[in-house]
This record gives sequence, C-alpha cells and structure tokens, in this order.
Amino acid sequence: MPSTFYEIYRGSPLGIALCDSVDDYVRSGEITEELGRIVLAEFDRALADAMANIDARASIKGHLRTYRNCVDVWYFSLRDATFKMHNKQTVSTSRVKIVACKHGDAVALDLGVDPETGEVIPGSRRGKRG
Amino acid sequence: MSNKIVPTIYRTVIDDVIASIKGEFEDFGVSEDVLVELQHKWETKIMESHVAEFNSSNEAPQPHFPPHTMQMMPQYAAVHHSYAPPPPPPQLPQQQSQVKSEPMDARYMLNAANYTLPPLPGPKINGAARPNPGGQTSVLSFPSQGRPNIPQVDGPSEDSDDSATPPPAMYAPRTSHPSLPQPPVASTSSTAPVDSEAINSDLDDSEDDDEDLEDGAGANTDIVFCTYDKVARVKSKWKCVLKDGMIHANGKDYLFSRCTGFVQPSPLSAFPNECTASSIGCNHPSTISFCF
Repeated sequence: MPSTFYEIYRGSPLGIALCDSVDDYVRSGEITEELGRIVLAEFDRALADAMANIDARASIKGHLRTYRNCVDVWYFSLRDATFKMHNKQTVSTSRVKIVACKHGDAVALDLGVDPETGEVIPGSRRGKRG
Repeated sequence: MSNKIVPTIYRTVIDDVIASIKGEFEDFGVSEDVLVELQHKWETKIMESHVAEFNSSNEAPQPHFPPHTMQMMPQYAAVHHSYAPPPPPPQLPQQQSQVKSEPMDARYMLNAANYTLPPLPGPKINGAARPNPGGQTSVLSFPSQGRPNIPQVDGPSEDSDDSATPPPAMYAPRTSHPSLPQPPVASTSSTAPVDSEAINSDLDDSEDDDEDLEDGAGANTDIVFCTYDKVARVKSKWKCVLKDGMIHANGKDYLFSRCTGFVQPSPLSAFPNECTASSIGCNHPSTISFCF
C-alpha cells in the first residue's frame, strides 16, 4: 500500500473546498501549516480509498485538441466531448481537460524514446503493438 | 448513476478525513471546535457548489450558527440564488443578524407582491421569529433590500467576463494576420498572453494556451482528474483507459472507476497540437518526439 497518494484530486471541487477551508484556518493561525498538510494528505488517502470502492464505468469520445505528457502525467484537451456513464447517462461538453497520473504499472505507447539522446529506452514498448 | 453516488462518496470521504485527523488535532493541541467548524465549512462550500444533489441530512444538531446556515441553504436554495445581496450585507455588523437574515429574506421574497406590508410588522416579525436585540438593525436594513427589483451585484466577476469575452474577438485577426501588430485590447488579464502569442501564434494554438494560462481548475472549467492505465495512439486516433476518475462537467461531478476514451483529432486540423513541457512551466526539459 503506497504511503503517498496522488494530490491531483485536490483540484476537484471537493478538494478545492477543503483546501480553501484549511487555508482559511492556517491563515488565521488556528491550525499550523503542518497540520494543514496532514489534513490534505488524509484527504488524498480517503478519496483514493473511496474511489477504489466504487463501480461505475464511463466512456469518453471527443475531438483531441492538445495532448501533453510531462513526468508521467498525461494532459488532454478535448473539444465537443461526450461522456457516457454506465447507466446510459450522457453528458456533453464543448471543452474539457483531462489530467491523468500514472496508475500502477501503466504504460503509454509512444513513449520509450529518451528525449535527450533519442535512444530507445530498453524495456519500453515503443514500436510494439500491444 | 455516477452523479447520484457522488453525495454518498463525498460523505464517506468527509467522515473518513475528519475521523482520521481528529487524533492529529489532539496531538497538535487544537480544540475539537476548530475541527467541527472546519468540517462544516468544508461541507458548506461543497453544498454551495451544487456539484451534486445534496440533502440536508448531514447537518449536526448544534446551537452554532454555521449549522443553521447549512440547514437554511438547501431549503432556500432556489430563493437564495435570486436573492444574492443579503447574505453578505456589509452594513450588518453582527454575525448573528447576518445568519438570521436568510430566513427573513425568504419571507420577504414570498411576500414580494405585498411589499407594503412587511415594513410595518417588521419588528413584530423579528420578535416572533427570534427575539434578538439586534433585530432593530436587521429591520432597518431589510426594507432597502426587500425590493425584488434591487440591482444585484453578484454574478460572474469582471475577470471571468474579461477572460470569456475577449478571446473570440482577439483571435480572429490574429490567426489571419499573425505578423500584423495586434489591436489594443482593453482587458488587463490577457495582456501578457497576447504578447507571447503574437510571436508564437503560428506555432501554437493560442486558444489553448490561453486556456492553460488563465484557468487552473476553475469551477466553470470542465475537467477530469483520474489515473491512466493505458494510453495508446494508432495513427491519429487515441485510445486510453482511465481509472478512478472524477469528472467535473457542466457544474456537476461524476465519478468513475474505469473509463475508456476514444478521441481523434478534430476535422479542422489533421494532427492535434503537441504541447511541449516548457509551455506549462514544467521543470522537465524534455520534449516528446513522435514519429508518424
């Protein structure tokens, strides 16, 4: 069990609400910065645990505007995207961004080239269809 | 339904977090009242955002005023939105009367047709609802705020208007004549992006750069936070398998445990733009190279 969890969910409405509340108390001095960090870390863990227990599938379709991979984090920017939930509920948006961190031993095809030397990283799946 | 499970999940997370940090608060010598207030503040912000349908069953029976605010808000949610000025009225000096103003405003809203009546029985209403020495102050301020046609000062901030309205006007000339000097733009928020985009306008899509620069994770941005299990590209079509995600779209939250994505470039452009690491201020100096 990993000791740290992804902090990206702090950017979600739930996370932002907690961050703002904690920031208010830290700024007023009622709680220390360290305690605030502990609270947010507990939020990361609690949300990860809760998300692992849900069972809801979805699918996304859309037009890709931009894609970006930096330090194993994928950023996508989509236009005219449609989300379909497992209960057939459909949600459409004109613009949506996706921020995805690596899940376990996830592999992204197309990676595998050392950006500085251009050499193929051994063990990567570059060029392999899988 | 992914949206209907959201309140349950959020309740679970909130309870889990509060239970976990209770011990930490004790270790740090912070009183439990602060923890309770933090929880209520957190819950209030979530309910205010209306990302899912929350019921008022999570309120605690305490005599403190913040829980009363939570109780009022779901009931008067419809009224609250159309009656924005009263909740934080600057002329009310007391916290008590500020909170109590919410139910009073609801009464005035319901009696909007009979507006001439409320000012007369004003003190009596206050006395009947909540005997309060500060009632005089609230009565004095209510007649001025009880008018249904009062100009509202809430709404989208000017900043968001600036970020929303200028881009369509700015980009039309830029894409056609990137080398020409740009017309002066009144908005101050997009001054810096305009300069950099005038130089790189032929390289990057300026709209998306503007999105990335101006927008972190605003409430009005549709964004998905998740982990990826697999991201694959076949020619120009992308397939991805996402896990444990939270979708914020159209002001609502949705959760998924697994999501498959199938995206392809828009018909307008043959290949989507690849953003380099430098454009997001990432410290990683690399650029990802692709061979087509």
